[in-house]
Amino acid sequence: MTAVSVDAKGDRVFAIALALAGWVIKFIAVVLVIATFNFILVHAAPGDPAQVIAGQSGASDEKLLAQLRAEYGLDKPYPIQLATYLKRVVTLDLGYSYRQQRTVASLILERLPATLLLTATAFSLALLSGIILGTLAGVRAGKWSDTVLTVVSLLLYATPVFWLGLMLVLLFSVQLDWLPAFGYVTIGVPMTALQRMVDIGWHLILPAVSLAAVYLAIYTRLMRSSVLDVTHQDFIKTAKAKGLKQGRIIIRHILRNAMLPIVTVAGMQAGALVGGAVVIETVFAWPGLGRLIYDALLQRDYPVLLGVFLVMSVIVIALNLLTDAIYRVIDPRVSVRAAS
Amino acid sequence: MNRREFAKLMGVSAVALSGIPLGITRAAGQTKGGTLNTIIQPEPPILVTALNQQQPTLTLGGKIYESLLRYSPDLKPLPGLAQSWEVSPDGLTYTFKLFPGITFHDGKPLTADDVIFSMTKLLPETHARARGIYSRIEKADAPDPLTVVFKLKSTFAPFLTALDCTTGPIVPKHIYDGTEYRKNPANAQAIGSGPFKLKEWVKGSHVHLVKHEGYYRKDQPYLDEIIYRIIPDSASRAVALEQGKIQLTQWNDIEMFDVARLSKLPNFEMTTKGYEYFAPHQWLELNNRIKPMDDKRFRQAIAYALDLKSMAQRVYFGLPKVATGPVSSATRFYEKDVKRYDYSLDKAKALLDEMGLKPGAGGKRVTIKYLTPPYGEIYQRAAEFIRQSLGRVGIDVQIENTDVGGWAEKFSNWDYEMTGNLVYQFGDPALGVSRTYISSNIKKGILFSNTAGYSNPEVDRLFEEAATSTSEAKRQELYSQVQKILVEDVPVVWMFEQAYPTFIDKRLKNVTTTAIGVHESFSDVSFG
Amino acid sequence: MSTLKSFLRHPTGMIGLIVLLAVVLLAVTAPWLFPDDPWDMVGAPFQPPFSEGLWLGSDMLGRDVAAGIAHGARISLIIGVISTLTSLVIGVTIGATAGYFGGKVDEVMMRITELFQTIPGFILAILLVATIGPKISNIIFAIGIVSWPPLARLTRAEFMRLRGREFVQAAVCQGQRPLTVVLRRILPNAISPIIVTGSLAVASAILIESALSFMGLGDPNLMSWGFMIGAARTVIRQAWWMSVFPGLAILLTVLAINLVGEGLNDTLNPRISRKR
Repeated sequence: MTAVSVDAKGDRVFAIALALAGWVIKFIAVVLVIATFNFILVHAAPGDPAQVIAGQSGASDEKLLAQLRAEYGLDKPYPIQLATYLKRVVTLDLGYSYRQQRTVASLILERLPATLLLTATAFSLALLSGIILGTLAGVRAGKWSDTVLTVVSLLLYATPVFWLGLMLVLLFSVQLDWLPAFGYVTIGVPMTALQRMVDIGWHLILPAVSLAAVYLAIYTRLMRSSVLDVTHQDFIKTAKAKGLKQGRIIIRHILRNAMLPIVTVAGMQAGALVGGAVVIETVFAWPGLGRLIYDALLQRDYPVLLGVFLVMSVIVIALNLLTDAIYRVIDPRVSVRAAS
Repeated sequence: MNRREFAKLMGVSAVALSGIPLGITRAAGQTKGGTLNTIIQPEPPILVTALNQQQPTLTLGGKIYESLLRYSPDLKPLPGLAQSWEVSPDGLTYTFKLFPGITFHDGKPLTADDVIFSMTKLLPETHARARGIYSRIEKADAPDPLTVVFKLKSTFAPFLTALDCTTGPIVPKHIYDGTEYRKNPANAQAIGSGPFKLKEWVKGSHVHLVKHEGYYRKDQPYLDEIIYRIIPDSASRAVALEQGKIQLTQWNDIEMFDVARLSKLPNFEMTTKGYEYFAPHQWLELNNRIKPMDDKRFRQAIAYALDLKSMAQRVYFGLPKVATGPVSSATRFYEKDVKRYDYSLDKAKALLDEMGLKPGAGGKRVTIKYLTPPYGEIYQRAAEFIRQSLGRVGIDVQIENTDVGGWAEKFSNWDYEMTGNLVYQFGDPALGVSRTYISSNIKKGILFSNTAGYSNPEVDRLFEEAATSTSEAKRQELYSQVQKILVEDVPVVWMFEQAYPTFIDKRLKNVTTTAIGVHESFSDVSFG
Repeated sequence: MSTLKSFLRHPTGMIGLIVLLAVVLLAVTAPWLFPDDPWDMVGAPFQPPFSEGLWLGSDMLGRDVAAGIAHGARISLIIGVISTLTSLVIGVTIGATAGYFGGKVDEVMMRITELFQTIPGFILAILLVATIGPKISNIIFAIGIVSWPPLARLTRAEFMRLRGREFVQAAVCQGQRPLTVVLRRILPNAISPIIVTGSLAVASAILIESALSFMGLGDPNLMSWGFMIGAARTVIRQAWWMSVFPGLAILLTVLAINLVGEGLNDTLNPRISRKR
């Protein structure tokens, strides 16, 4: 089952290269389509960024508006603005935020670590605990621990993420005063790098748990039924008949095979996870891309909106790639699908 | 176990709990030194107040750029860069004597030439509000380096009220003259003549200002440094205040719902003073072009139907004062003897009946759309309050939500029925009040103009006369008259004199001593 | 009839159905239970639960939380059902076209579906609602737009499976028009998995709506559960009840719909149902 011939290995390298090339093409296509789509959507809405800035200055006249429009290229026709935008996207230049007077790339880079930290933590948390709990429930199907896990995951699956977040704040911050309710790091305090890491980790607990909960529920349920499925297959029966220990059977045979559908589903849900992060960042004032996109939306900051939406889509594609890679690792038999 | 004990186990408490050493030394008389930690939010795009007039820029830039005058809370001029000034009897010529020894942060002296350059060349180009005022200067002269003489094209009484550092910041001529102002590389250094200069600006984190050693006022500034921390989240700002990590908050740093709770902090004093120059006036804007809002009786009915006292309590947590007319009681020329619209559903209904707007199905007389200003939750609550109040007299209000861009666009292009508006008064009715009511300022596409479309030749005449009159008494008389007319006509329904909570560490002195409060230079602010 | 009987014997499905019926009943009777407008400021602000006349307390403007929950049930259910119908129309049309015609058409349709699956759906919904304006029709449209891809994939798979069947081939050979074949022959045979997935989609539509409202993108003229929680966030220290009860309402409703959906799945599609 694990033996791979030398020839097959060569084929696999080729196939992986092909898959990678496919991903790159898909990636570029998606980026361009999303960029165009974004641009049209955002520009179809009413609202002139020059007006927004003027509105925040306490006074306004025609001259100021004209100056602002010229300064940000807003006086050009839309097709030209779109062409300029696409050209820049291809050269990885995401533009300039007139609201914040900074490049969009720098704004995004500044917020990206927080979002990556949050989504990656939540994703791994959900995947790992989902697999463990689901296996537990699966091998103990019908026992009380299975019932408890099933009920809890049903409940979590039906809980709105933002509400779960608020309830955790209510319990752990307001009532018990154990964990910080908001933010990313304690502000205004000089800290060493290590203290800072601990401090961020401390702030990360509630948002990551809230975001992970729903997926944890999904993966637990999936894993449970997958384990049940595999358990009834012939090779497990054979293994049992050969007298292998139960722990060994679970880890070597059941787990490995049962995990495959979970990984597939996890990849498909990457987009939803990133979307959920937007809400969670709002609840916890987590300074990531989610908050950036929300603020940009209210401010009509087009370049930032477009940039963040693009980057978020890229994160989803990257997570897809990652789950694809995991899939390959845990299942050596998988034939590399041509990228599609 | 509470969070602190819990945190101790994790080894973060030692830093989290230690205060920041302030480094204060007490010299004879005045306490000198120390670091003031405060908040700036949102992060300003630039610190040059001459080029950007968004509120955070003005708050921070006030420490860096000074202007000719400062103003007492009752809006009397005080010496700024100018130690004395004189107005000719015909009200046309203004002469300012500068303090000697003023220097910019780069060491070069500030002279009359810099003042003339800033006020007649740079600001009219870059500053919309200053443009309206300083373009009235016909001729500017510098008979000597410390004297500036402005001759106006015609009399304009509020000229002397428009020389604060948010309107007339003085920039160095040697840096800006002949350059493209907005693209000048020196904008990043923000070279002014104020008591504090920019040391470091870590984007997304903080702006660090330090004492300008060459400051012209003896012994000032008293503080060594000011650190403006950028804290975008309101809950985190409240925590920073509670933990004493900051010693001052301003504007919307602290949300209104937190004010009552935080006012109990023993080390802080809460004040709503220091906004007299701006005197933000909040009202319900009604598009006078649309039926039935073109009828005075309808607008009056709305004024009667709103229980503003209860709204101030429930929506604004008791902070603002109920407004009685177009001029804020905090500024000059306020007239309190005007028609009153005390909460009365009966009067409101009677007026609507008189108009012939009879209640139809479900008691509805008419449906009006309300465009919520997109500036946060509190505006949302206000919209809900207004809808419920007007619903009681049969005016069915449909709330429409939008983003900042959509609101500004719709509102300024008169594509709205009802909305909320918040307008600064800038110390003089001729600067901040008349613009909303005079018919010559009905300008499509421009915010803070006469967006309601109210037009009354008598009001136009009174405002015009008051602006050009040089006698204070005469002006008061004219403004009283116009206020009475406006309150009778209700072109918009004035609601509140908006109040902002300023939390000040009790050790800090002289923070809100002038009419621009936290925007002031802070040259005389000290610990103890 | 036998399906109904077997559903009635499905324990969790029945629990879900009972809870769901209770929520529907609450929604229907809301105008009689709470005849006042839920936005009306009926009492003092920040009254805790079980105060005089306010079993679930009042919010910062003195509005009745219980009335808000009852009236909010209407909005949640309406938005859940109509936006699911919208996504069904889009998803089934695209999936059916792709599955029926195959080849190039399938290729194009699936590329579009894939693109929509790559874009983070909730963010797209936010962007859509914010740009076209937070009105109930726009919210329904936005939720429909972001939730159709799984339905399209499912329909396509079912159609591909059924396309080669004899009764379909026979109909095609008789010269029936594609639309007739699709509507008369294939769809009726593919309908049960679509119903199951659709019923579960109602639950996720309710969740999306509540999240949008929570972020301030709900219809400002309609009382909804998400709005109530969003408004409660800033005052959570003063008034826990403002966020706890509407959240429980969402939780119960979504849970009930999920249970019913699973019950339907087990009774309608015994062959692909999960092993119990």
